[in-house]
Amino acid sequence: MRRRAGPFDFVLFLAVMLLLGMGVIMVFSASALTSSYNYGDALYFLKRQLLWALLGLMGLFLVVQFDYSRLKKLAAPFLVLAILLLILVLVIGITTRGSSRWLGIGSLAFQPSETIKLAMVIFLAASLADNRQRLGDLAQGLGPYLALLAVVCLLILAQPDLGTAVAVAGTTFLMLAIAGADKRHLAFLAALGLGAVALAIIIAPYRMARFTAFIDPWADPRGNGYQTIQSLLAVGSGGLFGTGLGQGRQKLYYVPENHTDFIFAILSEELGFIGAALVIILFLILVWRGFQTAFKAPDTFGTLLAAGLTSMLALQAIINMGVVTGLLPVTGITLPLVSYGGSSLIFSLLGIGILLNISRYAGS
Amino acid sequence: MQGNINVHKRLVLVFLVLTSCLAIILLRLAWLQFVRGGELQQKALSNRLNVMPVAAQRGVIYDRNRHELAVSIESDYIGAFPPEIKDSGKAQEIANTLGSILGLPAQKILEKITSNTGFEFVERQVDYAKAQQIKNLVKEKKLPGIEVVPESRRYYPNGPLAAQVLGFCGIDNQGLEGIEAMYDKELAGEPGKIVMEFDALGHEIPRATHRYIPPQNGHSLVLTIDQTIQYIAERELDKIMASPTNPKKANIIIMDPKTGEILAMASRPAFDPNNFNKYPNSVWGNPLVRDAYEPGSAFKIITAAAALEEGVVKPGDRFYDPGYIKVGPDTINCWLPGGHGSETFVEGVKNSCNPVFVQTALRLEEKKTGLFYNYIRAFGFGQPTGIDLTGEGTGLLIPQQELKPINIATIGIGQGIAVTPLQLVTAVSAVANGGQLVRPHLVKEILDDKGNVLKRFEPEVERQVISPETARQLRDMLETVVSEGTGRNAYIPGYRVGGKTGTAQKAGPGGYMEGKYVASFVGMAPVNDPRLVALVTIDEPKGYPYYGGTLAAPIFQRVVADALHYLKVPPQYDSKQGSEEKPAAPVTVPNVTGKDLAAARAELEKAGLAARVEGDSGKVIAQVPKAGAVVPAGTKVILYLQGDPNRPRVPDVNSLRVTEAAEVLAAYGLQLVPEGTGQAGEQNPIPGTIVTPGSSVRVKFHEPAQEVLGP
Repeated sequence: MRRRAGPFDFVLFLAVMLLLGMGVIMVFSASALTSSYNYGDALYFLKRQLLWALLGLMGLFLVVQFDYSRLKKLAAPFLVLAILLLILVLVIGITTRGSSRWLGIGSLAFQPSETIKLAMVIFLAASLADNRQRLGDLAQGLGPYLALLAVVCLLILAQPDLGTAVAVAGTTFLMLAIAGADKRHLAFLAALGLGAVALAIIIAPYRMARFTAFIDPWADPRGNGYQTIQSLLAVGSGGLFGTGLGQGRQKLYYVPENHTDFIFAILSEELGFIGAALVIILFLILVWRGFQTAFKAPDTFGTLLAAGLTSMLALQAIINMGVVTGLLPVTGITLPLVSYGGSSLIFSLLGIGILLNISRYAGS
Repeated sequence: MQGNINVHKRLVLVFLVLTSCLAIILLRLAWLQFVRGGELQQKALSNRLNVMPVAAQRGVIYDRNRHELAVSIESDYIGAFPPEIKDSGKAQEIANTLGSILGLPAQKILEKITSNTGFEFVERQVDYAKAQQIKNLVKEKKLPGIEVVPESRRYYPNGPLAAQVLGFCGIDNQGLEGIEAMYDKELAGEPGKIVMEFDALGHEIPRATHRYIPPQNGHSLVLTIDQTIQYIAERELDKIMASPTNPKKANIIIMDPKTGEILAMASRPAFDPNNFNKYPNSVWGNPLVRDAYEPGSAFKIITAAAALEEGVVKPGDRFYDPGYIKVGPDTINCWLPGGHGSETFVEGVKNSCNPVFVQTALRLEEKKTGLFYNYIRAFGFGQPTGIDLTGEGTGLLIPQQELKPINIATIGIGQGIAVTPLQLVTAVSAVANGGQLVRPHLVKEILDDKGNVLKRFEPEVERQVISPETARQLRDMLETVVSEGTGRNAYIPGYRVGGKTGTAQKAGPGGYMEGKYVASFVGMAPVNDPRLVALVTIDEPKGYPYYGGTLAAPIFQRVVADALHYLKVPPQYDSKQGSEEKPAAPVTVPNVTGKDLAAARAELEKAGLAARVEGDSGKVIAQVPKAGAVVPAGTKVILYLQGDPNRPRVPDVNSLRVTEAAEVLAAYGLQLVPEGTGQAGEQNPIPGTIVTPGSSVRVKFHEPAQEVLGP
């Protein structure tokens, strides 16, 4: 059946562009002083983020033109490639602060974690669209997916990168749920997932310390509670209108990772509740339009793909903002579309491009 | 499409899960920013602020002639910002460096500079050289997070002089004792601060909260104390402490009776306020305002004042002293075995006769119950004088309702009552100034840091206690005590002195203590118009004699004589003339130095003065007294003639004071090597010896010899 592509979902696109714009501005505001200290160039991160955004948008517009159904055939090779990259990063990755997350050299480095997020969603959507009737069967249906997830998660955890692992596992879980997995199986999986997270926390002392610091950050304000406390102080300093763009204080080395993982804290301080709520509302719009796209998709692959991509972005956003507001323990995860980071931004925009492409076939 | 319907159901479910998660974050955000916003904002700010104190310059304490008694000198403190030090990762290195410069254990410094605070003192009031060394290292950026900040340190240029009056300051320049404590608010000023907002690495945040709140320098004080008189008093106290008498304590207080200004307040043992903590804290306080003692006979002044004012005795009233007096069942002895026999009241005062004063006190009580006590209170006993010092005592009065006739009788002779030296001096000042009880005070003026007078303390009269006539009568009687009575050792040639001795056995647990006395003398000069009232107390002198007349009166004599000379109070009559004679009219000594002998003689004669000549030829090269001195008419002015300037003869400086002798010898080109103080005696080489110019002349100075008398 030949399908006719309509216009893409403009509301979704607008929400994405707004998030992207706020992100670029906040990356500049958060990093200007520290980067002028550290790199002698206040625009260091801004320039790069603009470049990534440009590249990402170009990718987005290419993908929007690319019929998503053709992705189905590419799903498996793409996944294999992504897994190979995950293995490669463990072998020859660039190690910073105890984690091997980067492949490549200098500014051309990228994070295979971002590739696997996209690859997993596409593969799961493609595979589940065909095999979802068999999902009730633990051994033949659900089992292989869990095995795949276990392999992928172990590879990500080996970097180690708990945040991405949780996001991938969470997205997989949601996609299995949407695809129609048995409720009892899902409940069991949820328990298993929580157990796995608990285990991951218990076996790594730094995660344990982060976790206890999450329970009571003020117990060790200069140690493990530091990040959470400084983040909370930043958010709390914002009030309704914020301290004003560029006027935040907590970004000055107090809040760590101020332009990446904790950019939402700086945004909350400088733009206040109004700015922070706007970000959340934009993500709500993104979830709404994303799921609407899934709902209206012409086939199951489209539905699962749209829901998976949306869930992946939403889950990352929830985890990131949960950490910043002290609702979740500190995991290293960026706020999609807003945080600084080339790989994250490009792959997020590619995902959005696929989502927008699916929206072009709504209702057909 | 059964399957897809199921998918859609699940889609809605997942959608709801994700949106509610986002909604929870929205609510959390609102809670953080609205409910806890203020608290978190405050925490964030204090987290980023470092406050560095900037000390205010503490005001100067001057004596009445603006000599500095206490000053603040520049010093530095070493401060640390622990967060910056910890970030630098060089804490141990910094601690070692500072430790070796400051001479402190590195471990202790390490603890301080890595504490969980924003700011710490490493060391206060650091020596200039050490501070400079650290300053240089800071400049070279070798000591991140360390600052050298100026502060001031209190310095007392005269060391122990007036230590108990001045008090001292603690490490933060806070007044802890004496004037420093009493006027701490005025002296201290308001410390300023530098508030700086720092980023987490200790960089100052550009354009951030950065306020310099300048310190408000403290006010300065001008005391009523005269440094020179204070010095004279302390010199005499040191002498008595070093003598075989070696008392436990000795005090002198000198007051201007008309204004209540304390001119000197000295106490031994003393301490050096620059190093106060090297002395036991028992010597820090001011015993002259704090400690009460039994005044003994010196209190008879009060008894006499009350009795004369009430008219219960007249100066000519006759008394008979058989050597004791019976009061009810008790017997009070006179200090003179066998008694003074028949005597007038005036003679009773002169003799310090106990039975006379016992009867006087009882007469007061007879006239009206409580009358004597009313006077005692009116004279300020039993309550603080209100002097501007902390820790003032009230003395001790037997409660009036418990008062028995024997108590009245003994209080009449100064036993059974305890007073502070300040109370007694204040009360006697009322006799000296015509009957007014003035409030004693130590601060004359408060100045701002530019020297402008902010406040001047005027004399405050509390009340008229006795009439000016009674006061005058009593002063005359007190003069006889000195001119012919028990206080003869207080006699100052050239001045009319009045006063009263006191010798009181010290009371201890279970009665009076054998061999423990307080010898005292309180007096005034000149009696007809007193400029000074002084009290000398010698606490627990060793050995015999222990009388006020023998121990305290000579000290009074030396201190007051020097003070009167220093204050240029004109002498009223020649020391050789009797006290009964009218003093000769005072004349001013003309300048005859540089003149011929004949011309000099003529000029002196014209002024009504006589001449005594030392040397045999040449012009007058020195004269004693000097030009401008005011002396009684007929006084002999010593004229020193030059002789051969290349072969000077040693002049006779007999009976001159140290400064006079030095000036005379200098006129001959000779140097004085003095021994002792007072008036010149033996000379070596002897007068008339021909010496080479520039030679030294050794001269022994003596205090004028005095007869030793009873109390």
